[in-house]
Amino acid sequence: MTAAIKTLDELLTSPTETNRSLSTEEYFLNMGPQHPIAHGSLKLVLLMDGETVRKVIPVPGFVHRGIEKMCEHLGYRQIIHLTDRMDYLSALMNNWAVSKTVEKAAGIETNGRIETIRTIMAELQRLQSHVLWWGVLGMDLGAFTAFMYAFRDREIIGEIFEETIGARLTMNYIQPGGLMYDILPDFVSKVKKLIAYLKPIIEEYDTLLSGNVITQERLRNIGILKAEKAIGLGCTGPVLRGSGIPYDLRKLEPYGAYDKVDFDVVIGTKGDCWDRYYVRIEEMRQSLKIIEQLIDNIPEGPHSVAKINYKIVLPEGTYYGQIETARGVLGVFIVSDGKNETPYRMHFRSPSFNNLWTVTQIVPGWRIADLIAIQSSLDLVIPDIDR
Amino acid sequence: MGLITDKLPGYVEHVPGGSILITSIDAIINHSRANSLWPLAFGTKCCAIEMLMATGAPHQDTSRFGAEVARQTPRQADLMVIAGAIVKKMALRMRLLYEQMAEPRYVMATGSCAISGGPFMYNSYTIVRGADEIVPVDVYVPGCPPRPEAFFWGLLTLQKMIKQGESIRHPNIRKKPVLAMLPQGIKIEDIHQQIRDLLEQENTVDVLKAASQKTWSAKVEEWIEKTSKNP
Amino acid sequence: MDRENLEKSVITLEPKAHSRGKADRAAVEVPAENLQNLMRQLSQNDRFSFDMLLDHTAIDRIGEGKFELVYNLYSTEHAHYLMVSCLIDRGKPIVPTVSSIWPIAHWQEREVFDLFGVLYDGHTDLRRIFLDDDWKGYPLRKDYSDPDMLEFEK
Repeated sequence: MTAAIKTLDELLTSPTETNRSLSTEEYFLNMGPQHPIAHGSLKLVLLMDGETVRKVIPVPGFVHRGIEKMCEHLGYRQIIHLTDRMDYLSALMNNWAVSKTVEKAAGIETNGRIETIRTIMAELQRLQSHVLWWGVLGMDLGAFTAFMYAFRDREIIGEIFEETIGARLTMNYIQPGGLMYDILPDFVSKVKKLIAYLKPIIEEYDTLLSGNVITQERLRNIGILKAEKAIGLGCTGPVLRGSGIPYDLRKLEPYGAYDKVDFDVVIGTKGDCWDRYYVRIEEMRQSLKIIEQLIDNIPEGPHSVAKINYKIVLPEGTYYGQIETARGVLGVFIVSDGKNETPYRMHFRSPSFNNLWTVTQIVPGWRIADLIAIQSSLDLVIPDIDR
Repeated sequence: MGLITDKLPGYVEHVPGGSILITSIDAIINHSRANSLWPLAFGTKCCAIEMLMATGAPHQDTSRFGAEVARQTPRQADLMVIAGAIVKKMALRMRLLYEQMAEPRYVMATGSCAISGGPFMYNSYTIVRGADEIVPVDVYVPGCPPRPEAFFWGLLTLQKMIKQGESIRHPNIRKKPVLAMLPQGIKIEDIHQQIRDLLEQENTVDVLKAASQKTWSAKVEEWIEKTSKNP
Repeated sequence: MDRENLEKSVITLEPKAHSRGKADRAAVEVPAENLQNLMRQLSQNDRFSFDMLLDHTAIDRIGEGKFELVYNLYSTEHAHYLMVSCLIDRGKPIVPTVSSIWPIAHWQEREVFDLFGVLYDGHTDLRRIFLDDDWKGYPLRKDYSDPDMLEFEK
């Protein structure tokens, strides 16, 4: 068997396989790591013909810090603080993924209070993440006002996190064995006030952006991802649900308190940018519904079933746990050799890394302004790609 | 503008009363530069959400300090806010961006990843431990991520530095006054006095006083009294 | 299908495979020559219909001198999981690609090549993905040493 290795320069200077019968010339445009889309440091090399994009070559790696190698020197409770910094907009859900896998592997049982609070926090974080995505989508399409509205609401949700957890962005709260701190006595009343505030706000978002004729023209029928191709392309989360496939881990394999609540899985019909956009807006409404059902019935009990300073040694073997974050399915793969308190190998199946591949398949044929709308609707967070 | 900053100090300083003119021009130029810094949003990671996006937002507002015009291109910016970890692949591009900025240019390193490598200091094979290995940094703002209020503290320190430490007499030399970092109400003379007091206190010893202050001396005296009473 | 039946059915499908053990789900191990055949059958056969390749990664078993390649599969129709692993020699790591069956493997195999140095036969665009093109060495191997990497052991 043989394999040929290439470099990026060889790829760009080799002759392309497109038709040269017309006298137009194709050129390479570099949308480099510093560009106004402000999603992070991702380089896209575009092969363009006039203003139409013929081919997209993504070059990630500008934030690659080697987290997987670092995890081989750290205990499991220390790895939790590194997972915050991978996909920082759903930091609590990243913590939950590692905690859940370690608890299942070590045989630690949690109680109802821990699971209910974890679910409420995760849904609040999903709201916060979708609100920021909405603002950034408006900013990319040119409507800077949406960004201001989104951050006003994001800070209001963040105040609850700050009182309970102590941090605004890097949470480090959900640990294997329970939670870091217990909730304060006025947590329940504050969350109820927040839900009452946020319900008319989502209608306001609909009036501002969704009903606008410019948004509709720029998002409808653009970047269609068909359902039969979507599964093989490895996308999960709202990208997959926008194409019509009802794959949601909260319904298929319920964890936490998701089996005690009643909510709908939102799917689209066509798979264009508008479907992916509206799936997320509806998910915000479903998140509010979940929090409403749980907030009055938090059971009593300790907030942590294990002592604070202990080292966990997992039995020998491989373990894999998954969770549904705001971007897709985050999977945690742990290989343990049974002797050390550090893993032998730790791998994260990150949702943005697998969603990025769809950009190469659905963009060719559209213009460069449509590329920006498509990339915004995929909701990528770059440190999650590079880990 | 180039005439004022390049040629004027040389001609005017020899004229009697010329240095007053230069100081007043200094005050005007530094005041305008400090109150309208245009940041270049160089955000790679989590600090970008807090330092660049949340500070432009309604709850904490950089327009109060004149720095809300955030440009994405270095040709139109004069303050580079480094928000996020720098890895070797990105270091080359960052140096290119710094060299494309027009002078006078300032650099602010926010977050612990940009100061020293942060949580990724050990066992990471690609990280650059501190942005000051690549570009010269003026202000460091610690935190992981720093609060937006800490970012404004850094911005105000930079403004003080521009107003007090720059002059058209020495265009590329910048004084970093330690005074800009002291808390409110404390002057450098207070610190000098405190150090002087401390040294004087430790330098002179009153031997009799020190001997009588030992707690065992009271017990020894008791014992001497006790034994002297019982022969 | 549950775990035991799944392993038995896969072994009847491909006799060279055997059960791997020491995993929290159904896991089989197959030599490198029969890998592509088995994967194609797993994705097209209606009893299995594994249409989602969740994850592909590698483990450096330096004690035995082998790399272990791991494929995590999932089927949306039957809702069962399977882990397929393949041991290859560490000195000459080459294995056929599965990117013709699941297109996402194209992207995931590039990551394994970048970090471990495993070559894929039949891959159309084998390039480094996270590190620079002229980086020497493969960082996630256990014997990778780099003077820039401040090692810290407790």
